[in-house]
Amino acid sequence: MTGVDKDDNDGWRRPDATMSLLADLFDGKLLDPGYAEAAARGEPARRSPVGMVVALALAGLLVVVAAQQVRRTEPAAVRQKNRLITEIHKRTAETDGLQKRLNTLRTDTEKQRAVALARSAEGRRINADAAAEADAAAARAARGSALVVTLDDSKGGSGEGRVFDQDLQIVVNGLWAAGATAIGVNGQRLTATTAIRTAGQAILVDYRPLTPPYAVTALGDPGRLARAFGAGQAGTRLRELRAAYGIRSSIRQKGSAELPAAGAVQLRYAREETPK
Amino acid sequence: MIPLIGLIAGVAVGLWFHPDVPLWLQPYLPIAIVAALDAMFGGLRAKLDGIFDDKVFVVSFLSNTVIAALIVFLGDQLGVGSQLSTGVVVVLGIRIFSNVAAIRRRVFKA
Repeated sequence: MTGVDKDDNDGWRRPDATMSLLADLFDGKLLDPGYAEAAARGEPARRSPVGMVVALALAGLLVVVAAQQVRRTEPAAVRQKNRLITEIHKRTAETDGLQKRLNTLRTDTEKQRAVALARSAEGRRINADAAAEADAAAARAARGSALVVTLDDSKGGSGEGRVFDQDLQIVVNGLWAAGATAIGVNGQRLTATTAIRTAGQAILVDYRPLTPPYAVTALGDPGRLARAFGAGQAGTRLRELRAAYGIRSSIRQKGSAELPAAGAVQLRYAREETPK
Repeated sequence: MIPLIGLIAGVAVGLWFHPDVPLWLQPYLPIAIVAALDAMFGGLRAKLDGIFDDKVFVVSFLSNTVIAALIVFLGDQLGVGSQLSTGVVVVLGIRIFSNVAAIRRRVFKA
């Protein structure tokens, strides 16, 4: 600590006097120069210790309060997170239960409707109409022989070798055009308004992400479907994709396949008849 | 001896009353503590060097804590709060280390 202010006393100031942190560090004189100055002034330490006691009390208070703060906020955050997780699990289970109940109720309603309509000739006609329309709207499960077109990313699976939403759309449209009566992708039933979109890395069908390989199952006469599909635009596209990007695809006939009903069908234009 | 009583009193008050830190002050508390530690070790070193002055200590303690908090506050307003607090911690950390090293040399003669 000798000669803290020597430079100043010599009347020479180093050019970097205001930013001499590292120089001071190497000189080992990082003590607040105030102490040395006060000592040099020779002022006697005659003041009452009140100021210092207060300052030190403040320091102790700061440390303790900060420690408590840290300890208090941490468990609170963990607790909150756990509560949220429990809440999520509970709500998910609730939703699942409600969905299950909805499904049973829906089946029940349909059964009762069929029974009620079967009593009259007109009812039987309506019943048949409703069944055909339910099939068209993918509102009920369908089964039958099928053609399965499987698409997969190329072996490298990078960039252009990936299956895009467009490819899947073309395959699906090609199958519709070939005369498919119902189509599902990886067990996800398609309706007339189901969207096939890309979001980030995943392809979404009906807003649910799917992972490759993508198996497109089309109900209908497999032989006719295969011929019409292979001759159409979609078949050409598949061959091009394989040649250019190595996207793997296969077409397979299946004796029996089952497609579930699509998710909740919403009435958009139909209105309940209100008696006037 | 008397200063030690002050320190203990401060700790006791903190433990006893559980004071709540207002939310806007919370980010600046840790940095203020590092600054306070720096002032305390500086004072201890000066004491051992025999040039301790309580006025210098009190003034440096208060200004250190307030300025450290102010720098971080300013950084927060400018969007570089975390970087500036790192800077403050580095500078004060260097000072604390060098002061503690000086104290160690004086106490243990090593």
